[in-house]
Amino acid sequence: MSITNVTIQPAAAPALTPQERERLALLADRLIAGGAGLPSASGAEVHTQWIDRAMAVRADLDGAVRAVLALEGDPAEVVERLQAEDPALFGSFAMAVAGAYLINPRIRRELGYPGPAPMKNAALPDEAESYLEDGILDVVVARGPIYRPTPA
Amino acid sequence: MSTDVADVLIIGAGASGGVAAKHLAENGFGVVVLEQGDWVNQSDLPGLRPEYELLGAGPWHPNPNVRQRPEDYPINLEDSSAVIGMFNGVGGSTVLYASCWCRAKPSDFRVRTLDGVADDWPLTYEELEPFYRQVEFELGISGKGGNPAYPPGYDPPLPSLPINMSGRVMAEGMNRLGWHWWPGYNSIASQDHRHQKRCERYGVCMYGCPQGAKGSTDVALFPDALAHGARVVTGARVARITLDENGLANGAVYFQDGQEKFQPAKLVLIGANGIGTPRLLLMSASSQHPDGLANSSGLVGKRFMTHPFGTSVGLYEDDLEDWVGPTGEAIESMQFYETDASRGFVRGSKWHIIPNAGRPLGMINRFTLGEGGVADEPFWGESFTERMKSSVGHMIEWMIMPDDLPEEHNRITLDDSMTDSDGLPAAKVAYVTGENTRRLVDWNLQRSLEAHEAAGATKAWITNRNNPSWHNMGTAKMGDDPATSVVNRWGRTHDVPNLYVIDGSQFPTATGVNPTATICALAKRTATYLVENRREQEVSTA
Repeated sequence: MSITNVTIQPAAAPALTPQERERLALLADRLIAGGAGLPSASGAEVHTQWIDRAMAVRADLDGAVRAVLALEGDPAEVVERLQAEDPALFGSFAMAVAGAYLINPRIRRELGYPGPAPMKNAALPDEAESYLEDGILDVVVARGPIYRPTPA
Repeated sequence: MSTDVADVLIIGAGASGGVAAKHLAENGFGVVVLEQGDWVNQSDLPGLRPEYELLGAGPWHPNPNVRQRPEDYPINLEDSSAVIGMFNGVGGSTVLYASCWCRAKPSDFRVRTLDGVADDWPLTYEELEPFYRQVEFELGISGKGGNPAYPPGYDPPLPSLPINMSGRVMAEGMNRLGWHWWPGYNSIASQDHRHQKRCERYGVCMYGCPQGAKGSTDVALFPDALAHGARVVTGARVARITLDENGLANGAVYFQDGQEKFQPAKLVLIGANGIGTPRLLLMSASSQHPDGLANSSGLVGKRFMTHPFGTSVGLYEDDLEDWVGPTGEAIESMQFYETDASRGFVRGSKWHIIPNAGRPLGMINRFTLGEGGVADEPFWGESFTERMKSSVGHMIEWMIMPDDLPEEHNRITLDDSMTDSDGLPAAKVAYVTGENTRRLVDWNLQRSLEAHEAAGATKAWITNRNNPSWHNMGTAKMGDDPATSVVNRWGRTHDVPNLYVIDGSQFPTATGVNPTATICALAKRTATYLVENRREQEVSTA
C-alpha cells in the first residue's frame, strides 16, 4: 500500500453548508478577532475557503468542528463555555480554526514568512563562517576542555 | 513467499537496520530486511505543502497512536507519564527526526564509576569512537571540530551549517554568562554528500526532508545495501523469531497482507528499538523460553528509558527569521552536562536551540501551557494575532535533554487485550519520570531562563517539563553478566548465540544526548564484529 493513500485522503464528510459556514465565521472570530495588522478568522476567509483545506488533510477534526457548530447560543458564550467545560473539544476546534487561518498565504505573508509554504533558502557559500568570523567562539575554546575523560 | 535462506535477517529498517544492512551487504552477506512499514516517497512528505503542520499533527504525527496507519502497532500508555514517538517505515524514525546528531560523552559510559549510579557500559567512548566516525561519514554529519566538550578528534566530515540569527543571538548571551556553546551537529548535509543533497534550509526537517538532505537511512544507507544485493521486504510485520532444534535463531514468522509467511535465516539481528524489540522478544516466547526469547535475566522490556525533555522560550525584539532551516540544532551547550552533586542530582543535560517559527501552530501550547503566569494571560480572541505577530520569528526555544537513569519498574510488556491489525499484542508502556531526572530537568530549565535573559529576551518562560522525545531505550540491556543483562558487549543475546540486538534497547543508561548517533555507532560496531568473526560465528543450518 502506498503511503500517499494514507496521508492525503480528502474528507469523506460532506462540505459544510452555507448555514454552517455562517456559524463558523461567528465562532471562529471569537478565537481570532484580528488586530496587529492581521485580519479576523472570517476576514481571512477561514469559514469560506481555508477550513476546507484544513479538513481535507485532517478528516479526524471534522467531527469536532461539526459538534461545535451544532452548539446553540451566543457565540461568545458558546466558546467560553466550551473552553471551560470541554477542553479537548475546544482544543480540536481551535486547532482546525487556527490551522486554517495559518495556511492562508496572506496571513503567512503578514507574519513575515517568505512564501505561502516552506521555501528554499540555501546558505551562501561563507554564511556558516560569517556568524563566527568575529571570534565569538574563541572564549569557549580558551576556557579549555569541560568533559570528564574515561577513568583509567 | 521466499524460501531463500538469508545469511542475515534484519528485523526493522530504521537507523540501526540501515547501518547494519549496508555494512553486511557490502561485505558479501546475503541480507534480508523485514520492515512493517513502507518506503517513503519524498514527494509524499508534507513539508512543502501549506498544510504541513496540520499533517504533522495528524497522519505524519510521531505518535503511532495518533497517526494510526495500518503499519503502526498501538501502544497502551495508560500507565506512562511519557508519550511515545516512532515512525514505522524504511528509514524508521530517522525519516521524521530533527537530525540532531550527538555523540555520547566519555562519562556516559562510566556512570557507576564516576557518579555511583546505574551501571557502567561494557565499552568505553574510546572503543566506540571509530564507529561514530564511520557512521558520521556515511550519514553526512555536518558540524565543527574542536569542541572542548569532547575529547580531541571529533571532526565531522562536512562543514557546519549556519547557526543562523537565533543561534548567534543566544551564543552572545552564553558568552556573557561564560557558558559553553558550540555550533550544532546535524545529520544534514551542508554540501552534496554521497546520496544526500545539500540542505536547502526549508526548515521542515521533522516532517521529512523534501530535499533528501537529511541522513535518514532510507536516503543515506539503504541505496548502498540494495546495490549490494540486500532485499528489503516492506509491509512485513514480524510476529516471532523462531529457533531450530539446537536453540539457534533460524528465521522469523511475519504477516504480510494478512498472510503468515516465514523468512529463514542463519543469523538474526533485531533493530526495532526500545519498544519494538522487547515486544518482539516477548512475543517470541516458546516452551524453551517461556518468559520470552533471550530473557533468562528477566530484563527484557525492563529499564525503559526515554528523555522527557524540558523546553523554555524567550521573546526577542529582533526579527530572527528562524523559519530558516534546518530544524536540527542551531547551537548546543554542554555547560551543565557533567555531574555536580551540589545541584541536587547526578548526571546532566545537553541543551540545544531548534528553530520554532516553522511550527506556528505550536505557539498555541507554548503560550496556553506556559508557566510563570503565561498560561493565565489571554491567548485567543483579540490576543491571538498579537501573540502570533510577537512570537513568529521572534522566539528562541531551548530544548533541555536530560540523562534518564534506568529503573526496572519502567518497562515494556505485552498488552492483555489491545492488538495490532494482525492480531498481535500491542506494547504496553509503564513509565514514571524518576526523581533524579525530574530535578535535573527543573534545575536546567531555570538556567535556561537565565540564558534567555542574558541573550536579551524581553520575556522568557518554561513551556513544558515533559516533552515526548521519541527516544526509546534500555529494554534489552547490554552487559558482561548474563544474569544482569540481555546482550553482551557486541549486542549478541546471552541466551541465543546467533541472535543480536542492534538498536537503542541495548543502552545501559540513556546518556543526556539524542541517541541516534550512539545507536548507529553500536550497529556499525556489531556489523563490523560479525564480518570480522564470520568464521567463528555460530549460525543456524536448519
